[in-house]
Amino acid sequence: MTDFVAHNGVDWSESPKYLWPRPNNEDGEFWAGARRGELRIQRCTSCGKHQHYPRFLCTHCGRATLEWVTASGLATVYSFTVVRQNGVPPFNERVPFVVAVVDLDEDGARMIGALPKLDPAQARVGLRVRADFRPANDDSAFVDFAPLD
Amino acid sequence: MKRRVCVVGVGLSDGPVTPDMSGIMLEAQSFRRALDDAGLEVADIEGLASAGYGGMHEVMLAEYLGLTPRWLESSSTGGSSFEFHTMHAFRAIEAGDVDTVAIVYGNNQLSASGRTLGTGGGGGGRAGMAMPMPMAYEFPSGLTLVGAYAMAAQRHMHQYGTTAEQLASISVQTREHAARNPNAMYRDPITVDDVLSSRLVADPLHKLDCCVISDGGCCIILTTEDRARDLAHRPVYVRGAAGGTTHHSIQAMADMTRTAGAVSGPKAFAEAGIRPSDVDMFAMYDSFTYTVLVMLEDLGFAPKGEGGAFVTDGGGNLRLGGALPTNTDGGGLSSTHPGMRGLFLLCEATRQLRGEAGDSQVAGAEIAVAHGSGGWLSTQATVVLGTEGES
Repeated sequence: MTDFVAHNGVDWSESPKYLWPRPNNEDGEFWAGARRGELRIQRCTSCGKHQHYPRFLCTHCGRATLEWVTASGLATVYSFTVVRQNGVPPFNERVPFVVAVVDLDEDGARMIGALPKLDPAQARVGLRVRADFRPANDDSAFVDFAPLD
Repeated sequence: MKRRVCVVGVGLSDGPVTPDMSGIMLEAQSFRRALDDAGLEVADIEGLASAGYGGMHEVMLAEYLGLTPRWLESSSTGGSSFEFHTMHAFRAIEAGDVDTVAIVYGNNQLSASGRTLGTGGGGGGRAGMAMPMPMAYEFPSGLTLVGAYAMAAQRHMHQYGTTAEQLASISVQTREHAARNPNAMYRDPITVDDVLSSRLVADPLHKLDCCVISDGGCCIILTTEDRARDLAHRPVYVRGAAGGTTHHSIQAMADMTRTAGAVSGPKAFAEAGIRPSDVDMFAMYDSFTYTVLVMLEDLGFAPKGEGGAFVTDGGGNLRLGGALPTNTDGGGLSSTHPGMRGLFLLCEATRQLRGEAGDSQVAGAEIAVAHGSGGWLSTQATVVLGTEGES
C-alpha cells in the first residue's frame, strides 16, 4: 500500500503519461516545487496579492512584479463536486471522488484540486484542507488536497 | 442615422439524430433552408459567421457553400459564439459595412462522438490531446465539464439555499415543451422525482439536470430593415446585444453565483429600451439546469438568490402561460444540443416572434431574449429581439 490510497480503496499512485505535467519556463517552479513537497505560488511585490496558476502579469494589479513564494498549503473549500462519472482513464476507475476549488490562506490565490482521501459524504463548502502532494514522475507532482485532521 | 437590422430567415437541419450527415452537411442543409425561408439566394449572402472546433472553420464553410463573403466573423466563445456573432453582425449592418449576413452552425456530435462530451474529458479535452493552458492545472484533478457546472450549482445552493428540487423543476418544465416538438430528442413527461432519482453525474447535478447530446444544424440570416421589407416574412428586429467573459477555467470564476450575464443582460436590455418584465419569451442556453437558474437572476428576471423560487412560483414560471415561457422548443435539456446550442436559441426566438411556434406559441409575443452561455459559464452574450424596431 502506498500513501495515495483514496477513500474507496483505489490507489492513485500511478498516473498515465498523458496526464503528466509538461513543465515550461513559466510554470516549471510550480511542478518542481510540488515534487519537493512545497506549494509554490506567485506573489506580487507591488500589491502584495498572490495568484495561481503562474502567469507573466499579476492578475490583481497588472504589474510584472511577481516573485515565487512557498504557500502554507492551508486552504478553505469554496465549492466542490463529487465526480461520479468520468470516461477518461484512470479517472473512470477512481470514481467517485471529490474535486474542489479552494481559496488558499494566502490572499488572492485560488486553486483546483482533487481530494481523493475525503469521503464524499463529508465534503462541504468551508471545509479546511491542506495541500497533499502526489508524485507524477521524478520531476513533477500533482497537488491534491486533504482534510485537516 | 443607424440602420435597423432584422432576422429574415431561419433554418433548422434534420435532427436530432442524423447518422448519415456530417457536421458541414448539416450546416449546408440549414443554410439552404434559411435561404428558402427568407426568399433569398446564395448570391445575396455577403457576410458569413460560424464557429466550429478548429481554426478557419468559417473560411472552409464559405468555400464549401460556394460563397466568397466580404465580411467574416468567427468569435469562438463556445456555446455563446452565435450570440456574439449576432451582436457583431448587428453592429456591422447598422454601420453599413455589410447588408446581408448568414450565421451558420452544424455538428453531428452524437453520431460522431457519442454521449461523452460532459464526462469524456471535461474541461481538458480528450485524453491524449494537448490541453489549453489553464486546463493543464485542472485536468489532472479529474474534473469533468459537468463537474465544473456542478461546482457552481453547489456554491449557489450553499450561498442562497437553492434546492435540487428547484433545479429539477427547470428540467421538468422544459420537457413539457419538448412534448410539443416532434423533433425533440426526449418527449415523455418527467417529474421532479424522476430528475432526482436519475443518477448523479457530478453532485448536485443528476443525469436529467444535463442537456442532451444530439446532431443538428441551424442558420439565421440578418439584413437591413429596407431589404427585409421585400422578403417573405414579417421581419424580426434585433434591438440590443451585449456580451462578456469572467474566466476561462472554472477555478478562475471569482463568484460562481454571478456570470458575465449580469453585465451583458442589463446592457442589452438598456439598448433595446426594455425591462425584464417586458420579455415575453426567453431562449436560454440550458446546458444544465443551473445555467438557466443563474441567468434568471443575472438578467434580472429574479433577484439574486431567488432564481429557485422564481422557477417554481405560480405553478412554474418557465411554462407556457407562466411569467417567462422559457425554451419553448424543449431546449438543450430535452430537444437539441449538438455540441453548441447558441444559434438554435435565436431560431426559436424568431419563430416565436413570427407567431410560427405552433403548439408552443406564446400568444402575442413581441419581445424575446436569446442568451448564450459558453465554456464553463465563461462567456455570456444576450440578444434582444422584437416584432418592432426601436422607436
